[in-house]
Amino acid sequence: MARSNLELQIARSPLLRYGLAPLSVSVALGGSLLLGRFHFRNVADPLFLFAIAIAVWYAGIGPAIVAVVLSGLADTLFFIEPLYTLYVTRDDLPHFVIFVLFASLLTGFAAVRRRVERDLVQARDHLQIEVAERTQQASLLNLTHDPIFVRDMGDVVTYWNRGAQELYGWTDKEAIGRHSQELLQTIFSTPLEDIRAELLRTNRWEGELKKTKADGTQVVVASRWSLRQDDQGRAVAILETNNDITERKRREQDIQNLNQELAKRSMELESINRELEAFAYSVSHDLRAPVRHMAGYAEMLQKKASSVVDEKSNHYMAMILDSAKRMGNLIDDLLAFSRIGRAETQKTLLNLAQLVKEALTEVQQDTEGRNIAWKIGALPEFYGDRSMLRLVMVNLISNAIKFTRTRPQAEIEIGCANGNADDLVVFVRDNGVGFDMKYVHKLFGVFQRLHQSHEFEGTGIGLATVQRIMHRHGGKVWAEGLVDGGATFYFSGPKPQGDLWRS
Amino acid sequence: MEIVNKLGRILMVEDDPKDVELTLTALEEYNLANEVIVTRDGEQALDYLYSRGEYKTRSSGNPAVMLLDLKLPKVDGLEVLKQIKSDGELRMIPVVVLTSSKEEKDMVASYKLGVNAYVVKPVDFHEFVNAIKELGVFWAVINEPPPGSVRK
Repeated sequence: MARSNLELQIARSPLLRYGLAPLSVSVALGGSLLLGRFHFRNVADPLFLFAIAIAVWYAGIGPAIVAVVLSGLADTLFFIEPLYTLYVTRDDLPHFVIFVLFASLLTGFAAVRRRVERDLVQARDHLQIEVAERTQQASLLNLTHDPIFVRDMGDVVTYWNRGAQELYGWTDKEAIGRHSQELLQTIFSTPLEDIRAELLRTNRWEGELKKTKADGTQVVVASRWSLRQDDQGRAVAILETNNDITERKRREQDIQNLNQELAKRSMELESINRELEAFAYSVSHDLRAPVRHMAGYAEMLQKKASSVVDEKSNHYMAMILDSAKRMGNLIDDLLAFSRIGRAETQKTLLNLAQLVKEALTEVQQDTEGRNIAWKIGALPEFYGDRSMLRLVMVNLISNAIKFTRTRPQAEIEIGCANGNADDLVVFVRDNGVGFDMKYVHKLFGVFQRLHQSHEFEGTGIGLATVQRIMHRHGGKVWAEGLVDGGATFYFSGPKPQGDLWRS
Repeated sequence: MEIVNKLGRILMVEDDPKDVELTLTALEEYNLANEVIVTRDGEQALDYLYSRGEYKTRSSGNPAVMLLDLKLPKVDGLEVLKQIKSDGELRMIPVVVLTSSKEEKDMVASYKLGVNAYVVKPVDFHEFVNAIKELGVFWAVINEPPPGSVRK
């Protein structure tokens, strides 16, 4: 390296390069004259040739030509008779011509050598750059987490990146040189011949493979093969990139299992629903008929016999009629309740204030003769089924009216409470008889009542209906109360999402 | 009484004897029960309308109104209704479905088949009697039945 540096420096500076010619010729001349003093013969020509060789070797062709000219002049001046003139006799001409020719030949050789050397240096530099690039590329392949390995056409592993080491557990030193099939025990889902055929035809193949890791566990990989060919187009190696999809496959399987389970469940549900529908239908027809008959015959009996039987008997008949009527109401309410579960909801954007107004009109006759202070706050728009939401309002308001009956001054407040970012909360509050929070879980059950029927009439289905409607709207219902301290019923539902709902 | 003079024939299709009794009682109360034919299932009703089987020898003419229950043995009410409304001769007979069921799907099916009225029997006997009376008065007295109907 040091030598080539020196050469490069000389080569870069023309002053040094061309200075070398007179310098070396002067040294040769001096040496020849000195040796001449000691009567050595014929040393001048070899020394001049040596000087020319030095010049051409270290400074190139230009300085060498200068050295040839200077050597010729010096030779003519100092060593060819007559001395100290530039005159050359005919006898000396061959000597002189041969000298110049030899010097030129020497220069030519040196020039060829220089060219060869320059080419070699260039080739070396090129190789160095390439090696650096390749090394960088190889280390880049090591950076990726994807397992990548190369195997030759004899299935012997020739490259094994860090991703492959991480997934399969063998280091590159352990893997390179071994047969990949022996190492990974690949299980092919497609015949290997087909894969090879496709690889040779299109230079690539991809598919799912099962492979075995160093620790014996199996992985499923998404595998991509690329064929590497030499200049003549012969296949030389296969580069294989693998992605571990074991987890994904497992999850896909889970999802598939869940979907099957879901399909099964929904089939079961559908069949239950059908049964329920048949049941409701049968209740609607068959259960109502005997109740109607009881009422009918009891009434006819009452008509015929009321004047001849005593007061107690009349009371009994009245009770039969009353019970039949109550049974009829229960059946009707229960059917309505079951219908809410089965009916399709038709959701639109609703004006709750308007719904409350309608509900108040509907319950008007219950408020006659009552002293009720209504406090109705601002109500939001609500996204839901109009008739169902109306039923919710009617049920909650008529409950509030019913359970404030014992109050000389009833207060009923309807408003919007602070919900969270996604939900609206509406409440109906009264100062009625309230309830014990101990039994709050029973409030919304079908036929569950917290008051005796002689205090407050009812079938115990109203709040269950409210709950079912709100659940069908993706909302909730809950209540707070205090014995003799009033009750508040809340329901919540998703906030309308801007224009999405309006459309 | 004018009502009695104008009274049309009522065909009742009802399998439950108690319902028959209660309905007849209600009709009697308003003197509407004289011309009531009671059939106990869909087949019998159709036999009557087509004058076949046990009704082969009945006097001719269609009823002024038909009170039809839906849940019937053999041929159910909706099938009877379908048969009547698809028959060129019988389709003019006014048919009133009189049923226990408040089921919407029955109601929709009946109207689609062309029923003339749909009445749910009230549990309360007073209401029941009123309903039957009004039905009887309207269809058998006030309404002009189609030509060919039997009038007393």
